Formats: sequence, structure tokens, C-alpha cells
Amino acid sequence: MDEKKPNLLKLIKNGIFSENPVFKLALSLCPAVAVTTSVKNGFLMGVAVLFVMTMVNITVSIFRGVINPKVRIPAYILIIATYVSMTDMVMAAYSRTAYKEMGLYIQLIVVFAIIISRAELFASKNKVVPSAVDGFGMGLGFLGALVLVGAVRELIGKGTLAGVHILGANPLLIMVLPTGGFFVIGLLMGLFNWIEDKYFGGTSGGGGGSHGGH
Amino acid sequence: MGDVFKITVNLALICALAGIILSAVWAKTDPVRVQAEAHERELALKGLAPAADSILPVKDVVINGKDGVIYEAKAGGKTIGYVVSSTGRGYSSFIKLLVAVDMDYKVTGIDILGHGETPGLGDQIEQPWFKAQFAGKGADNLTVVKTETTTDIQAISGATISSRGVTKGVKDAVEKLKEIVPPAGANN
Repeated sequence: MDEKKPNLLKLIKNGIFSENPVFKLALSLCPAVAVTTSVKNGFLMGVAVLFVMTMVNITVSIFRGVINPKVRIPAYILIIATYVSMTDMVMAAYSRTAYKEMGLYIQLIVVFAIIISRAELFASKNKVVPSAVDGFGMGLGFLGALVLVGAVRELIGKGTLAGVHILGANPLLIMVLPTGGFFVIGLLMGLFNWIEDKYFGGTSGGGGGSHGGH
Repeated sequence: MGDVFKITVNLALICALAGIILSAVWAKTDPVRVQAEAHERELALKGLAPAADSILPVKDVVINGKDGVIYEAKAGGKTIGYVVSSTGRGYSSFIKLLVAVDMDYKVTGIDILGHGETPGLGDQIEQPWFKAQFAGKGADNLTVVKTETTTDIQAISGATISSRGVTKGVKDAVEKLKEIVPPAGANN
């Protein structure tokens, strides 16, 4: 099959804007709600996912001719789980403070739909460099979304931004609970789409294929 | 049958490769992790009993169904206090604590080693103002109230259960200490 040569910069922009995992594809909303109680947590989780996504895409692409299609899902999960476990072990040994904040959630990265989705949709059908860039771009989009949601929730829910006190008024505590998380994501999603409609002339259509969000 | 065989071999190879990589990473990082945890524990103990020149475990205990340890803090060969590692049942997790107690069974300080409480609400138990409340209080005053207080423990607004979890964990530590190291002159 003829493998196209996608424009690499376009891939990155795709991951951040037109196919942003959180605001356009609505994938991996689980961590997007659970971990974005502050900018710092959102950032840490985003970076971990960025690393895992890029590495998984590279690995799946390298081995795309070798993995038997009939067991590709277990194979992808194995690859993802290996990278997540590595991240977990390295963090537990070398970044104790970050690990204390994120420890519970790092291991959950294995089930993020966005990672296995890109592995199946892109990395299994493209060469290594485009796959790496695609993973990186999607990871950047995810990181950006998490930091943005975290910023809104932390500012309104605690009055701080990355720990620095900004607002003096009584914070809206519900923002730091899951309820607030859903509100913020929904509103930001609407804002995202509205900006795209108004300034970039229409949406490019939602996700890549049908899959359940996680 | 040949198909099933091919699939099995394929998957087994991937598993083997993953296993090898993970073992290698584990072998390199686990010793570092263990050392880091031991170091943190040492720092936490020293932080709670700064005047001590030796803090050594003297008894393994069970508090709230979880393993704990009583450390004896000595300065110049004389016992100046104890540190108890305890556990309290929080809202959504077990809260691991260190409780420093003086010879009058009054708390001199606490440290929160780990918990899984709600971010933004229950995790406020780590705030200095909350932890500082425990200093100077004995078992009788280790109760949570929702109003402003200096004699008892003031709850974190929106996180009463987490506050209670910590307080009970501290109180249980003090009572366990009284049980293991009875007050001098008490009839055993």
C-alpha cells in the first residue's frame, strides 16, 4: 500500500488544534477531569503522556510489519504498559516530589484511549518519523488542553495559578471537584469550536474513527 | 492450528521483550527508590525530633489494622520522646502519619507521609496550619470540631472526614504509645 508522506508540521498542528484529543476528539477525558485540579498536576500528567505517546508511536511503527494483526490490540497494550511502567519506575526513583503528586495517576495512563487510538490509526500504517511526530503533536495537544483546564480550575477553584495567589475573592470550591472539571471542559470545548468556526472557517470534522472515550 | 501457533509465538515474543526491558529498568531504578524512601523517612523522623541524636525503632505495633512502629528518640543516652508511625482512615484512602510525642504523652508535631485524599479538599491536611494544630495537645484534646478553636482540632472546611481521619490516627498513636510505654509510676 502506498504510504503517503504527510507534512510533519501539519501533523503537529493537527494534534494541537484540529484533532486536539480533549477538545475535538473528546478522548481521555478521564484524566482531563481527574488530574487538572491545578496547573502543576495537569502539566506533569501532560508531559508523562507526551513521552509515552511519542515512544509508543515510534515503537509500533518500527514493529508494524512484525506484529501479527490478529493480536495487535494485546500487542499495543503491552507496548503501552511497558512504557508506562518504565515512566512509573523512573519517577519513583528520580523525581520523588512529582511522583508523590502524580503517583496514583501515572499507572492509569495505560488505559488512555488516545494512545492506543493513535497507535492503531496512525503508527501502524505510517513510517517511524511521521508516527513519532504525530504522537508528539497529539501529546502536545493533550498537554496544552490539560494545562488550560488546570489553569481555569485552579484560578476559579482555589484562587491561585501554579501556586501563586492571584484572586483574593472566595474561590468556587466546586471547580476543584469532578463536577467543575466537566463544566470547564465542556465550556472550553465550546469555546475551542467557536473560535475555530469564527476565525478559521468551519470545523474539520471530529475524531478519527469511532471509539469509546476513556 | 498453525494460525493459533503463529499468534501465540508472536505475542509471547513481545511479552518476553517487554519483560526483559522492564527487568532492566527495575534493576536500575529500584535500589535508588528504596534508598530515597529510607532517606525521606530518616529526614521525617529527624524533623519531628530535632533534639534527638538517635531515633531507633523499639516496637512494631498495629494501629487501625495497619502496621506501625514506635521509635524511641534519645539525646545523650536519655529518652526524650517517641515518634510513632501510624495510620488513619481518611475519606478515600489510608493516611500515613508520623506522630512525635513527648514524655507527657503530648504531641509535639506530626508529619503526613502519604495519602490519597481528594485533591483540593482532603489534601489540605498537608497544609502547615492544619498540622501545626496538633502540637501541645494530649489525647483528650484530639477531637475535631467545625468551629474555630485552639483547644481542639479545627476541621478543614469541606474536608471533615479527612480531618477526622488524621486526628484519629494521631490520637490512636498516642493511646498506643501509652499502652506500650506506660507512664512512669503507673501500676502495671
